[in-house]
Amino acid sequence: MTIKSWMKSALAVGALMTLTTGAYADGMLRYATVGEPPSLDQQVITSDLATTIAHHMFEGLYTFNGANAPVPLLASGETVSEDGKTIVISLREGVQFHNGQAMTSADVLASLQRWGEFGSRGSLIFDHVESVEASGEYEITLNLKEPFGPWKNLMAFINGGPAIYPASVATGATKEPISPENYIGTGPYKFNAWEANRYIELVRFDDYASPDGEADGYGGARVADFDTLRFIPVSDVGTRIAGVRAGDYDYAESIPGDLFAELDADAGVKTMLNGGPIFGLVFLNSSDGPLKENFALRRAIQTAIDKKPALQVAIGPEGLWRANGSFAPEGSVWNTPEGTENFSKGDAEAAKAMAAEAGYDGEPIKFMVSTNYPFHYDSAIVYTKQLAQAGFNIDLQVYDWATLIEKRAQPDQWDLFFTHHGFVPDPILISVMNDNYPGWWATPEKKALKDRFTASSDPAERQAIWAELQALIYEQVPTMKTGDVYTYNIASPKLKGLGEQTLIWPSFWNVSK
Amino acid sequence: MLAYTAKRLLTLIPTLLAATILVFLFVHLIPGDPAAILLGDTATPEEVAQLSAELGFDRPLWIQYFLWLGNVLQGDLGTSIFFREPVTAVIGSGAETSILLASMTMVWIIILGLPIGVLSATKHGTWIDQITSSGAMLAASVPTFWLGLYLIMIFSVTLGWFPSSGFPSLSDEGGITNLRYLILPSLTLAAPNAALIVRLVRASMLDVAREDHVRTARAKGLHPARVAIKHVFRNALIAVAAAFGFTFAALISEAVVTETVFSLPGIGRLVVQSILRRDYPVIQGVILVIVVLYMVINLLVDLAYARLDPRVSLK
Repeated sequence: MTIKSWMKSALAVGALMTLTTGAYADGMLRYATVGEPPSLDQQVITSDLATTIAHHMFEGLYTFNGANAPVPLLASGETVSEDGKTIVISLREGVQFHNGQAMTSADVLASLQRWGEFGSRGSLIFDHVESVEASGEYEITLNLKEPFGPWKNLMAFINGGPAIYPASVATGATKEPISPENYIGTGPYKFNAWEANRYIELVRFDDYASPDGEADGYGGARVADFDTLRFIPVSDVGTRIAGVRAGDYDYAESIPGDLFAELDADAGVKTMLNGGPIFGLVFLNSSDGPLKENFALRRAIQTAIDKKPALQVAIGPEGLWRANGSFAPEGSVWNTPEGTENFSKGDAEAAKAMAAEAGYDGEPIKFMVSTNYPFHYDSAIVYTKQLAQAGFNIDLQVYDWATLIEKRAQPDQWDLFFTHHGFVPDPILISVMNDNYPGWWATPEKKALKDRFTASSDPAERQAIWAELQALIYEQVPTMKTGDVYTYNIASPKLKGLGEQTLIWPSFWNVSK
Repeated sequence: MLAYTAKRLLTLIPTLLAATILVFLFVHLIPGDPAAILLGDTATPEEVAQLSAELGFDRPLWIQYFLWLGNVLQGDLGTSIFFREPVTAVIGSGAETSILLASMTMVWIIILGLPIGVLSATKHGTWIDQITSSGAMLAASVPTFWLGLYLIMIFSVTLGWFPSSGFPSLSDEGGITNLRYLILPSLTLAAPNAALIVRLVRASMLDVAREDHVRTARAKGLHPARVAIKHVFRNALIAVAAAFGFTFAALISEAVVTETVFSLPGIGRLVVQSILRRDYPVIQGVILVIVVLYMVINLLVDLAYARLDPRVSLK
């Protein structure tokens, strides 16, 4: 073969490779994720990315409608005894698992038992459960020690929640996440493959038994239009955006705020705001160090900080953040102004005087933050400057997230740390309500209010008690909310059925292209 | 040659052993607990400790090391904490991308670097030399993440000629045509390396051109092109061959930025992600493989020297 003919062949191959059309048919949705989740086991993993993928294949007894109210999913209804202590849940019949097995109360019982013992949020409800039993082939009975108001909200929250697995999977499972070969659920898509570092793939479950009724939020009918959902880790945000613009991805998550105006004006992509905002939290150490039980000093720190400049620096466009001191966003039934007058004072002089009165003598206050989340770090830089102006000696310690997670579990390693929280439909799910969460806020005042809050089933009464709890948070300052952040994703304009906003996690049943 | 090769292989053993100790210590001295990362925000310290014990991280470090080393000697690099797959399978999955990317990059380096380097040397001091040298300097200076993103904007978003990112395996749908996913990344990775080869070929050829045997060849009246290729270029190749060997090894391990920009499931990105996740077995496995790769390539380069230059003797 001559050099000339080699060159001709090379050009021909090059042209062929260039002109070959995309390998994927329209039956596949390609979703560019920020990374890979640690597991898809919904009972023990609270990663939002895990739920974004897994809620297409795992379902719970309840889910949330468009107004964030719990509605039946695998359940068909329930009756609650007059004293509020016996809850009988009836199950939908004809529901199949992805392995072809019919779902019965035995599966639900095994799943609830595993979740109650090992689930990330299971103890929140199971601390109040006397027993749970399969009272019929399609009926489950929860016997409570005392009335527990938020039970249905907790059942409906699939993230770290009671996903229903076959009894063969749930029985014997522990805190360690179940392995991919056991990803067997009842959802409209079933697990197909997890190619490490490449993609996680779900395929349509043809025998899916959809709930009845018009689609509303995550409730109502679910129709799987795509043959395949492929979740591809694309860590660089520029590549995620270029990929949607080039048509290589249909959806890309976690786009920075400073690109919002440009992308919103781009006809080649559709911006999708997440309806439930996330919010930053700076936890204060209630177990060790200078802030332990010194509520006056904590209030001095709270008084020194002005949240708006940090939100402007860290998030950008004003449409993407709210300097909202309520732990629930505007429009939520849990939104309350109680205590929020102390949310963002930014008064350095007053803070200095309060700190002196609280006995602060300039000892270093260790503030841990991670660069893995730019908005944590940017906000922490602003706060550190504001606190220094108020006379606080802040020792800013910057770590990667894995190191921060390890250090925050050790009470002697920190005084403040920055984290963030996803939207939750019930305040009982906010991490500061968990006595064991790093920060370890467990005062008698909190316990008294929390007990009343969980014992009540009356919505109005619960809202009133939550207002008292929020006021207590601003008084004892176990954590400082930094404001609401409305994250957004981008989608191909070809996708139909996405709606205007994402409820909590993007969902792709009832979506097509 | 055989005796030399055997001797060199034997010296690899203590080096490799030292490398395993360093790798193991380095990985385990980083703060962060894989169990805590795996269990997430809501796990209690007791639950983290329990899982950590189940994964074997509560044992003394030296016991963990010898258990790991024993398994490595049997070809078992362990199981990924994150993926729950054998480390060899996880590395294998990344190796396909990395080897293909490095190979395509080498092709670009050869296609672009060698001819331009020869041209620059043979036209030494002319405007052609000035342009090629300046172009090489520019290519060596441009950050790869910047070049990668611009290539994506031009060739993927605007022209739609190539995919913007990702790489399906050759065994996936699309087969051999999936190589088109690697054209832009390999060009990005090739640019600074080809520039270095251009500079190296030019400098080596200019050095050789000053030697007596070249002057003799010219004095004999040989055609300038024949002198340039047969007498100058071939002798200059000795230095370039060594550079090719190390460039290939570096392309496997140092393609992190390119793999990140183009979202390629290669070994570079795998090791970075594994460090962030504290997936100890994968980090140890990947670094060990890279160390072995460097050692083998080092040996091959030394052997190649002897073949290319009869003056070099292997002792």
